[in-house]
Amino acid sequence: MADTLLKVSRLHKSFGAVMATNNLSLDITRGHIHALIGPNGAGKTTLVNQLSGDMQADSGTIHFLSRDITRLKSYRRAQMGIARSFQITHIFENLTVAENMGLAICAGLGHNFKFWRHWRNTAAIKSELPIALERVDLIHRAELTARHLSHGEKRQLEVGMALVGKPELLILDEPMAGLGPGGTVELAKLIKKQKGRVTILLVEHDMDVVFSLADRVTVLVYGENIATGSPEEIRNNPVVRKAYLGEGG
Amino acid sequence: MNRKQITLWCGAIILILLPPFALQTGSPYLLSLGSRILIYALAAVSLDLLLGYGAMISLGHAAFVGVGAYTVGILHFHSSAAEPVLTWPFLFTGSDNGLLVLPLAALTAAFAALIIGALCLRTIGMHFIMITLAFAQMLYYFFISLEKYGGDDGLSLAARNSLPGLDLGQGSHFYYLCLAALFLFLFFAHKLVNSRFGLIIRGAGNNDRRIKGLGIHSYRYKLTTFVIAGGSAGLAGALLANQTEFVSPGLMHWTLSGELMVMVLLGGLGTLFGPVLGAAVFLLLEETLAMYTEHWMIYMGPFLVLTVIFAKHGLFGFLSGDKEKNG
Amino acid sequence: MLLIIEQLLNGLQLGITLFLMSAGLTLVFGIMQIINLAHGSFYMIGAYVAATVAAYTGSFFLAMIAGVTAAAATGCIVEMLVLRHLYKREHLDQVLATFGLIMFFNELVRIVWGRQPLFMNVPDGLTASIELLPGLPYPTYRLAVIGIGFLVAVFLWLMFTKTRIGMQIRAGSTNREMVGALGVNINLLYTLVFGLGTLLAGLAGVMAGPILAVEPGMGESILILTFVVIVIGGIGSIRGAVAGALLVGMVDTLGRAFLPSILRTVLSTATADSVAASLSSMAIYILMAAILVWKPRGLFPAHG
Repeated sequence: MADTLLKVSRLHKSFGAVMATNNLSLDITRGHIHALIGPNGAGKTTLVNQLSGDMQADSGTIHFLSRDITRLKSYRRAQMGIARSFQITHIFENLTVAENMGLAICAGLGHNFKFWRHWRNTAAIKSELPIALERVDLIHRAELTARHLSHGEKRQLEVGMALVGKPELLILDEPMAGLGPGGTVELAKLIKKQKGRVTILLVEHDMDVVFSLADRVTVLVYGENIATGSPEEIRNNPVVRKAYLGEGG
Repeated sequence: MNRKQITLWCGAIILILLPPFALQTGSPYLLSLGSRILIYALAAVSLDLLLGYGAMISLGHAAFVGVGAYTVGILHFHSSAAEPVLTWPFLFTGSDNGLLVLPLAALTAAFAALIIGALCLRTIGMHFIMITLAFAQMLYYFFISLEKYGGDDGLSLAARNSLPGLDLGQGSHFYYLCLAALFLFLFFAHKLVNSRFGLIIRGAGNNDRRIKGLGIHSYRYKLTTFVIAGGSAGLAGALLANQTEFVSPGLMHWTLSGELMVMVLLGGLGTLFGPVLGAAVFLLLEETLAMYTEHWMIYMGPFLVLTVIFAKHGLFGFLSGDKEKNG
Repeated sequence: MLLIIEQLLNGLQLGITLFLMSAGLTLVFGIMQIINLAHGSFYMIGAYVAATVAAYTGSFFLAMIAGVTAAAATGCIVEMLVLRHLYKREHLDQVLATFGLIMFFNELVRIVWGRQPLFMNVPDGLTASIELLPGLPYPTYRLAVIGIGFLVAVFLWLMFTKTRIGMQIRAGSTNREMVGALGVNINLLYTLVFGLGTLLAGLAGVMAGPILAVEPGMGESILILTFVVIVIGGIGSIRGAVAGALLVGMVDTLGRAFLPSILRTVLSTATADSVAASLSSMAIYILMAAILVWKPRGLFPAHG
């Protein structure tokens, strides 16, 4: 399929006796928001780590843009267009919001051995910074040290940083975790805004969010892909209902 | 003008006006103490680039001070013995010409920093601290083993380096040279930390994993910073050799690395100007305590422990009212 | 040949001393995640107290008890007064505070005992040499040091593999959260581990007393060798401490002993001697650099 952005085939990963990823295959179509759901301990984060390159698979292959990336280091994958956000917010707490975003822009500028001019005065940063901050509604917070942001704003910043490099694939690992209802709504709106511009793999617990945003849903149980389909199909899939949705009601 | 700028201007004016004041009051001792403060300040600011911005906790910074100082000492030794330093692969003679010797000292130290840094930066955290210390100690023993250059006893310089238009033998000329070096480096470092390069270094210092996640290979940036800091410490070492007209392995001893660290922390980590204040306070405190007791370290030690436990932002943060580091 | 065996024994003896130093320190690093520069100070305290007690009583045994106790007691006090405030701090703070401790202890020793080095007699009964092989006499005292070192190593091994507290400590050095989850009193465990580490450092100091000069600053030269050992062995690993200590002890001793004669076969005597002097003083650091290129986390990295 020409439209397959990421193709995972027969992926395995075990920790001792525990199979964290078990013969897992998965296709992600370009432009989709593809949700990954599953009970706690289903191996969602392990899978994401293997996709981003933070962890190496035991066997199986991962193809991205038709290239085998199974053994590539995480920064090489990032350069190819895979961006991720972490379960625990991962920003530069001691830098300002603008500096955080500036760093994300710098990452796309090739080398940064520029010792003299103020970082803000680079043409690319000058033009992109306001847009990038605006995209995640943080322009009014630009000069604040990131550590002083609210939890939801930190998430917004993180997603914003991931979007800066115009990634092909954006992996969001439980972006709603720890956010209040207000923050969840804000962030969901923000993700929806990106629909069609970037392919998103969304790992999420909140079923309302998943069913309102996703084009495709994959259900992971004990490291296995037990079902993939449209939200409608997943909702009505008896196996899924039994294994997962049934439990939570 | 805000409080930070006022603090900075006051500091600069005091430093500039010190020589005429010393001349008026007839205390040349003040000048040599002043020069010493400026030189240590230069070394401390360079260390601040590593500690305060890149979070690279090097406990071996004195090694580069020592390499810079020995460059001056060895070139002087060969110049006065009229014996070339190298005959192969090219002829290289000793020299007392500051225009040649001072940059060369910085370059040699930068080269040493390149090799040591390339190895040390493969590690992080506690490993990095211990390894920088170990390599500095290696250089210390290396220079002790150089019998030709005095071994343990070191080398004496018959005179300071020469520079066109200046007589470095004169306290005030030498003082202004040190001041110029410090001001220039501060200006450069200020530009550096606010540049794109500096932004990446600050990012790496704050959260190295995240920098890698952005696809930035932080190793090269850190190594470059390590080399810049090493080179400027080498320049400080070269000036120190000129000031005391003496070099010895003691300059590389790890207690000096520790003292430089103390100056940075005392003045304010990640503030650039703070370490200048830190150097001044540390050396003045040392001088004052040494006047009353030869056992000044018995007070300095607990003072340090208490400073670490209770004072978080350094003196510069206190004076300038600036509590955020990396500002 | 006999010379080689003698130097191997010397290397072993240095290795044993380094092991006593690094075993305690690597645990402190691994478990408490705290970098302690003042470890050498406890070695120095052990040596000074032992030398003094030996001079007054003439009994090496009493001296040893006193030295080891003094080091361990000082260690526990320092842990409770200073280090406890630093566990959650950054490494930089820990470096500076423990640097302050070194200044304090070195100066304290100078005030109490003066600047002149003390010398400690080899204990009675161990002053002679034993002829290990025909033509190879070796000082009994050094053999005793090697023996005690072995006993300590075996004791530590038994403690870590067979006892409850040992397993808790070991679990702590690889997984800190687990110790808390096991319901262990962390404060007490930390004080105990630190006390054990400083006790071993004190023992190393006592045993080095009759071999080296007891002087201020003696702790720092051994401390840096200890760091090299830990870097080579891997932080938090007792096995790594054993391997690293023996490696460093051997390379340092053999380098100093044999490099000059080896180099003399290819270079003129004067050049060979000066090159050998430089090279042998740097040998262990070169070894460290090589291992670092090969394994950045040391030979036996503790997991986690």
